[in-house]
Amino acid sequence: MEKARLYETTFIINASLDDTQVDAVIGRVQDVIVKNGGTANALNKWGRKRLAYSINKKTNGFYVNIEFTAPPPLLASLERSFQLDEMILRFLTLQLDPKALAARAKAQAAAAAPPAADPVPVQPREPLFKEPAADRKP
Amino acid sequence: MPRKKRTCRFCDAKEVYIDYKDDKRLSRFVTEQGKIIPKRITGTCAKHQRQLVKAIKRARHLAMLPFVSDSIR
Repeated sequence: MEKARLYETTFIINASLDDTQVDAVIGRVQDVIVKNGGTANALNKWGRKRLAYSINKKTNGFYVNIEFTAPPPLLASLERSFQLDEMILRFLTLQLDPKALAARAKAQAAAAAPPAADPVPVQPREPLFKEPAADRKP
Repeated sequence: MPRKKRTCRFCDAKEVYIDYKDDKRLSRFVTEQGKIIPKRITGTCAKHQRQLVKAIKRARHLAMLPFVSDSIR
């Protein structure tokens, strides 16, 4: 049994579809993840955005980001389903590395505790060197 | 007058990971044409420049940043 890893995938759906059709496409992607032994952790819809350049003569896209844990062989079938789906313009799948998670944890901590948090009180420090006379025994 | 020494702003912010998702931030490291600005100009350190380049290229793939800006085409 291979170890499940944490991945994230971002894909762009044709924005000319209406919301129910977009949801159907997202559902299909989630199906692929679940059927191949993965679990979807988070689904973020970034919504319709203007593309920086046209892809397949489209200038707008609906961005979706899914975070999931899955065994590595799932990615092959996921990417194949992306390629076969004509409504998906682009996709990018990455393994979430510890640094990214650390950065996110930091951002969340910053968001949870606004900058108004009171500064950490300065602890009185122990002297680096003890007085030589006190603990030296003859 | 000597020029002020630039420091890497990712190091200043103690950044550990440069995310391809915040395109607004990345767009500051790209020229108007869409080219990546060299680190000798922005003052980014080598380590963060490598991360930055990767993030910009990922963002370009997802059409969040242009390969070539519209004004040039």
